[in-house]
Amino acid sequence: MGGEEEAETQTSICKDAPNLLSSFVDTFVDFSVSGLFLLPTPPLQNPNPSISRSLPPLPTRLPSPSRLIAVGDLHGDLDKTKQALRLAGLIDASDRYVGGSATVVQVGDVLDRGGDELKILYFLEKLKREAARSGGKIITMNGNHEIMNVEGDFRFVTKTALDEFRVWEQWFSVGNKMKGLCQGLETPTDPFKGVPMSFHGVRREFFDGFRARAAALRPNGPISSRFLSQNVTVLVVGDSVFVHGGLLPQHVDYGLERINEEVRDWINGSSGKFSPQYCRGRNAVVWLRKFSNEVAQNCDCATLEHVLKTVPGAKRMIMGHTIQTAGINGACENRAIRIDVGMSRGCGGGLPEVLEISKNSGLRILTSNPLYQNMGNAGLNVGKEELLIPAHGGLREVEVKA
Amino acid sequence: MGLAQSAEAAAHVTQTQTQTSTQTSTSNNSNSTSLDSVLAEAAAYGNNDDTEESIEAKAQRALECPCIADLRTGPCGFQFSEAFLCFLKSTAEEKGSDCVSPFVALQSCIKANPNAFSKDVLGEDESEKSEPTQEYKILPPQWSREPQSPKSRL
Repeated sequence: MGGEEEAETQTSICKDAPNLLSSFVDTFVDFSVSGLFLLPTPPLQNPNPSISRSLPPLPTRLPSPSRLIAVGDLHGDLDKTKQALRLAGLIDASDRYVGGSATVVQVGDVLDRGGDELKILYFLEKLKREAARSGGKIITMNGNHEIMNVEGDFRFVTKTALDEFRVWEQWFSVGNKMKGLCQGLETPTDPFKGVPMSFHGVRREFFDGFRARAAALRPNGPISSRFLSQNVTVLVVGDSVFVHGGLLPQHVDYGLERINEEVRDWINGSSGKFSPQYCRGRNAVVWLRKFSNEVAQNCDCATLEHVLKTVPGAKRMIMGHTIQTAGINGACENRAIRIDVGMSRGCGGGLPEVLEISKNSGLRILTSNPLYQNMGNAGLNVGKEELLIPAHGGLREVEVKA
Repeated sequence: MGLAQSAEAAAHVTQTQTQTSTQTSTSNNSNSTSLDSVLAEAAAYGNNDDTEESIEAKAQRALECPCIADLRTGPCGFQFSEAFLCFLKSTAEEKGSDCVSPFVALQSCIKANPNAFSKDVLGEDESEKSEPTQEYKILPPQWSREPQSPKSRL
């Protein structure tokens, strides 16, 4: 190479160096926190320069895919998360996405009650990117525990979780320092700006952990803006409505797209500390239990019917949030499907089950519960048979009268 | 320096800058684009049978850029350089996934030298922390609370 070309090359490489350094630091920090290496971010669809963050709108309504899997509350248990995904044939033994063009909906409550919160967030992000390459889609939703944590309500945090966030902060801060040493990069914002040094009534030994969690998860925090802002709060896929707690008529009136956009904007820091009003209180979209009573006949089926009528094409509502000790089941003639099985260790360690809706086989419960091997009607719900899928995989039909 | 750039080199630089300015608005940048342009340059300028060496050479050049200078000094400068070089040369789809060993070495060095990458300017980090903080209140879990001290009666 001639001298002139060499100089040109050096210049053009050094113009690139800040971005290369930034990518390296992000990769190193991600690896240090999660043990994972991620595929590159998929390119943004429809970037709109007039919106400050150029974010594509969150998907609120999607057509029926040929295979749809719904996964309930995970609450910080990575092992159970993987078991549930493996049950549905979505990941292989090496944790790679093998679900093809399936659509997967996780209905919220990744956070709290367990110590693998960041690991799960990163793992789902890894799978999202892998799925996108096979035409699949993984959609994560906000549960009440996501909303609470962004608001600083840490009442259900575990000690291990605090440690995970403390470790996150150490690497994240090192990463910021490294970026700060490169003149071509803007000095990263201090994620602790405005976070208190101490917390009244809390033992001193936990200050660091809470500071880290507060910095990470508050509106526009590094973890909330990176992961939680991608969550939808309400979702319609084909003829199924997904929501963590439940939808009331006033929520549909308010506007499903509007709810998703407002919650995302709040998570990204545009509307202060508290979530929108429909995310708080007993009738919130993420707190409602009207259609989730384990005693099916105590559910407010009339209201459910009313809501479903107002969402075009909707035949059922699929919800997490209320632990079903009997496993996934339906109420209100299976117009309410309750998929929170309390699988996390922190929720009693219920056996993993997921719901499958497919064009070929309709609604099926994929379960690892050995009690149901080769049994007929388990008698839990009228018209519903639960079959078991042994841990190593197996097939089983569940007929759910829609 | 100060040499006239060929139109082609200028086009590469412009293209890279446009791509990178789009990338900076996302929280986790796409890794492949900038290095793709470097590799494209390698194909254009370097020997085609020697692409391996060109990648190595170009990665070494990146290490000599002003941005990287301060990162190479200090107790973890060597581990940083090894890890960064490996990353730059990584052609894995998950870029850097073939760099576990140098990444772990860098981690170990940082754990042993927590201030390895701190700026030299004294007190710069401290001043941020002593800013009057807004009252960002949290609700802590029960297990983390101080035990209530019994009130003494006189």
